[in-house]
Amino acid sequence: MTEGMEQRRKERVDRGIKVRTDSLYALLSAGEIAYLALPRLVLILGLLLLPLVVPGMYWQRVITITCIYGLLAVSFDFLAHYVGLVSLGGAFFVGTGGYLAAIANTQMGLSPWLTVPSAALAGGVLCTLLLLPCLPLRGVYFAIISLMYPLFSARVIEALDILGGTDGIMGIDGFPNRIVEQYAPVVLLLLILFGLRRLVTTDFGLVVRGVKDNDQAIRASGINVTYFKAVAVFVSASMGCLGGACLVHIYMWSGISQFALDFSILPIAATVIGGSGTLVGPVLGCLILVPISEMLREFGTLRIVFYALILVAFIIFKSEGLMVWGRRKYHQFERWTRI
Amino acid sequence: MLEAKGLMVFYENMLALNNVDIACADGQIVGVFGANSAGKSTLMYTMSGIMKDIQKKEAMAGGERITIVGEVRFEGEEISRLKPNQRAKRGIVLCPERRRIFNESTVLENLRIGGYLATSAQAKRTLEYVFSVFPALERLQKRIGGFLSGGEQQMLAIGRALMAQPKVLLLDEPLMGLSPLMQATLVRATREIRDEKKISIIVTEQYARPVMPIVDYAFILENGSAVLEGTREHLMDNPDIRSAYFGVEES
Repeated sequence: MTEGMEQRRKERVDRGIKVRTDSLYALLSAGEIAYLALPRLVLILGLLLLPLVVPGMYWQRVITITCIYGLLAVSFDFLAHYVGLVSLGGAFFVGTGGYLAAIANTQMGLSPWLTVPSAALAGGVLCTLLLLPCLPLRGVYFAIISLMYPLFSARVIEALDILGGTDGIMGIDGFPNRIVEQYAPVVLLLLILFGLRRLVTTDFGLVVRGVKDNDQAIRASGINVTYFKAVAVFVSASMGCLGGACLVHIYMWSGISQFALDFSILPIAATVIGGSGTLVGPVLGCLILVPISEMLREFGTLRIVFYALILVAFIIFKSEGLMVWGRRKYHQFERWTRI
Repeated sequence: MLEAKGLMVFYENMLALNNVDIACADGQIVGVFGANSAGKSTLMYTMSGIMKDIQKKEAMAGGERITIVGEVRFEGEEISRLKPNQRAKRGIVLCPERRRIFNESTVLENLRIGGYLATSAQAKRTLEYVFSVFPALERLQKRIGGFLSGGEQQMLAIGRALMAQPKVLLLDEPLMGLSPLMQATLVRATREIRDEKKISIIVTEQYARPVMPIVDYAFILENGSAVLEGTREHLMDNPDIRSAYFGVEES
């Protein structure tokens, strides 16, 4: 690189709106409001309109299932990237929520309007209590032990022949009508997504992110780490249980397949594809992965291979995740500058 | 021997190194002094090639874009395209800031990992040499690295770097957080290494006074630019530098 030769580098510049501080936006024009609101509107309207534009009942059902996976993926992302607990317990949450809703519906005769929220809360408490002894674990150790829970639960139900055994619990009420069934998971997902984005910026979110970075420093600040971890697990588990409760009312059946490892594994894959730590990314990942996995159904078990290829391609070529990439492209533009 | 010309490093749009020219002749000890964020570690990472690795990782994770411009020459050859492992093979060995020893391996294991590039005869000889320069390490050889004190870890880090058979040793803040006594030990050892092994050494520090006696030539970095350079005598004569970097108050 000799003298006189022009050297250039690519510069990233914030597209930005006119007055901006870290948390305060001063909106000056309709254009800027649109600039900020557009991505959110695309997500909200997109999810609400999607069931109307897809062909037929089958794909509408796929979207519902996608939203339930979306709940699980967001809950995984929250625990993994804001609290530092890599949880493979998604299936455990779904199963617990599902069985609780099934019992509340068939034994106590509660309507789905009551079983879904109560299963979410009670399931959250139950899962948190059961996971409480594992909370001091971190990283892969927590992942392994949380993976044991769904396997354990399914085998216990099978072996002891409780809760309907291998047949499961049948005769559960469905949602009152098609529209509720279609939109309950969509609306719940949107509410939880935006709620969680708020939560991670509150003081609570600040503390749990601190726990992830350095739990000793958090302890030294006089904060009870276990309590905060437990609350975070409760939040995450409730979301999973909510998904499970919706699922049993959609299928009108609850069985040990609710503890299937798909519910633990797919959310992780979706998080990798969508971009970890973004919360929206995992939903995007589910919107890609779940329909793909449906389309590949005719290939039988070979679909796992396609599935794995997609994952590997993403990890190698876009390991930052779609959402991180998209966000950067939206908020920044690039240009060449002379050095 | 090792020189950098017109080195510029950008972290995204922030200029970390601005047109830095630095050179280290054969058998010299060169000091690079500057405050926090002056660019000392960036300079060391760029010369040892680790910056290329950081650059790649940041790009993969969608983080900051790091731009490196300028040339690094070693023994007259342009090496800025070489990866850090290739540079280490040629003899540019970094002893990184905060030691970065292998916490779960013993002292002996740490040293043997460092000797990966050496032949077994070289490794044996260098191991003996490391133990002669740092007798403390010989007593500690079965101990786990993570349980050593800061000073012992620093000796181990330098020892590990020596095991890689360096021609140029890059010491990034070797005295950080150490007692004056330990600092004096390490400074003495650094000179010994240069004198006996004929290894050129580039050493960075925030506070120049402890290392100044052994430095042949020094550069002063400020906000990414090399603002001053000169021989030890030349710099010591400058009253501004004496008060800013050597802690000598002018009366």
